[in-house]
Amino acid sequence: MLETLTQYETEIWQAIAETFVMVGVSILAAVIIGLPVGTLLFLCRKGNLLENQFVFSIVNLLVNIIRSFPFLLLVVFLIPFTRLMIGTAIGTAAATVPLSIIAIAHYSRLVEQSLLDVPKGVIEAAISMGASVKDVVFKFIYVEARSGLVLGLTTSIISFISYSTIMGVVGGGGIGDFAIRYGYQQFKTDLMMYVIIIMIILVQLIQFIGTSIARIIDKR
Amino acid sequence: MLKLNRVTKNYAEFQAVKSVSLKINQGEIYGIIGASGAGKSTLLRIMNLLEVPDEGEVEVNGQTLTSMSGKQLRQARKSIGMIFQHFNLVANKTVYENVVVALELADFPKNERRNRVLECLQFVGLESMMDKYPAQLSGGQKQRVAIARALATNPQVLLCDEPTSALDPGTTADILGVLENINKSLGVTIVVVSHEMEVIKSICHTVTIMSDGEIYDTVSCKPKGMQRKENHPQYFVEELTKDVELDHA
Ligand SMILES: Nc1ncnc2c1ncn2[C@@H]1O[C@H](COP(=O)(O)OP(=O)(O)O)[C@@H](O)[C@H]1O
Ligand SMILES: [Mg+2]
Repeated sequence: MLETLTQYETEIWQAIAETFVMVGVSILAAVIIGLPVGTLLFLCRKGNLLENQFVFSIVNLLVNIIRSFPFLLLVVFLIPFTRLMIGTAIGTAAATVPLSIIAIAHYSRLVEQSLLDVPKGVIEAAISMGASVKDVVFKFIYVEARSGLVLGLTTSIISFISYSTIMGVVGGGGIGDFAIRYGYQQFKTDLMMYVIIIMIILVQLIQFIGTSIARIIDKR
Repeated sequence: MLKLNRVTKNYAEFQAVKSVSLKINQGEIYGIIGASGAGKSTLLRIMNLLEVPDEGEVEVNGQTLTSMSGKQLRQARKSIGMIFQHFNLVANKTVYENVVVALELADFPKNERRNRVLECLQFVGLESMMDKYPAQLSGGQKQRVAIARALATNPQVLLCDEPTSALDPGTTADILGVLENINKSLGVTIVVVSHEMEVIKSICHTVTIMSDGEIYDTVSCKPKGMQRKENHPQYFVEELTKDVELDHA
């Protein structure tokens, strides 16, 4: 095993680095944009603080549309947009665009669901104390929903890893692309197996960390 | 000090509160009793505009809440405390954090917050539980934390929606004792909604009976001072004698 791996050491490290960039940017997009979008969905829902049928319907539809694309088609569909954003549609940087879009849609939905679990009474108590919407969100809702938010992000990160494996089609590279090019197309089945093992370990590790953090911060 | 002027609340076709007017005096413990679904909670929640009435005015501490901007209303709510049947504490905050958040919202001076929280927790007898989470407390203790939270900003009124309905009789008596103490020693006006006659009888100075979204009657009553001995074993004997014939074993 070690022999095959050392033979391809540079390529493997390169692929791992590409995966980290793609998944890392996806996580950032999920947290920086997906979290607010999910919160907006929650707040605009009927009966909630900023109830707004119009905004809710539009954002909800957008999230659904993005999520219903087969991911490969989304990548192709977004090529003009990607070119606009990055200047090129090829390469690891370009690959982060469709990944970020799906990351935002994916995580915002999970955020919305976690926030829906916050007891209505807690929100009422906050309002009765004179909290503004911003205070209700940051001092109450996020605090109460925090373990759900972490678990959702964990699930999302694992999906992002999976999505990132097909970015080879636009030259995004990454560990999935490596497994296909060297392992599958050059008939090095053992190499493909090792990559799969690496990915299994990675996913296990992420799930373990996510679940542990969620458990520690959950005082309910 | 608290006035409702012909407030009405509709849920679609259904009228939960029908043109109700009432007046609550400074320093009073005002009870609202009635069957389930009578509109008691809705009426109470109208008092801090948690429910916005479709018609009518709400006046608290001389301010008309119903004609305020969002910001003014948030400000006014800081002098109207509220506690709930299910306590509504933030489960992921410690006892201390649950209380201090009320002070943060009210822009209470930073360096005085800690002392104020301790003061409020002492008042409800929970200063030793400061670092515990709500899940580690009993129902009665949770309600005490909720009371401390509601009192932190020195409100003039405390609204209580079924404050003891999730508690056992002994704990109910304790909590009612705390409410009475708040009224007596801090002069806070208290409005209590309950469907339990015992609760209303034991602490209220004025009682309004609600039925089908309307006020059926309002009466004033003087407690006879025999109620809150519930923790004394003799209380159980007396309670039993009321309804059954006793034969000492
Ligand atoms: N958000 C709501 N939507 C529709 N109906 C409601 C809502 N809140 C209360 N009601 C109805 O209004 C009536 C009065 O409710 P409530 O004030 O909670 O009664 P009580 O506290 O006296 O038991 C009930 O029939 C209830 O079903
Ligand atoms: Mg009720």
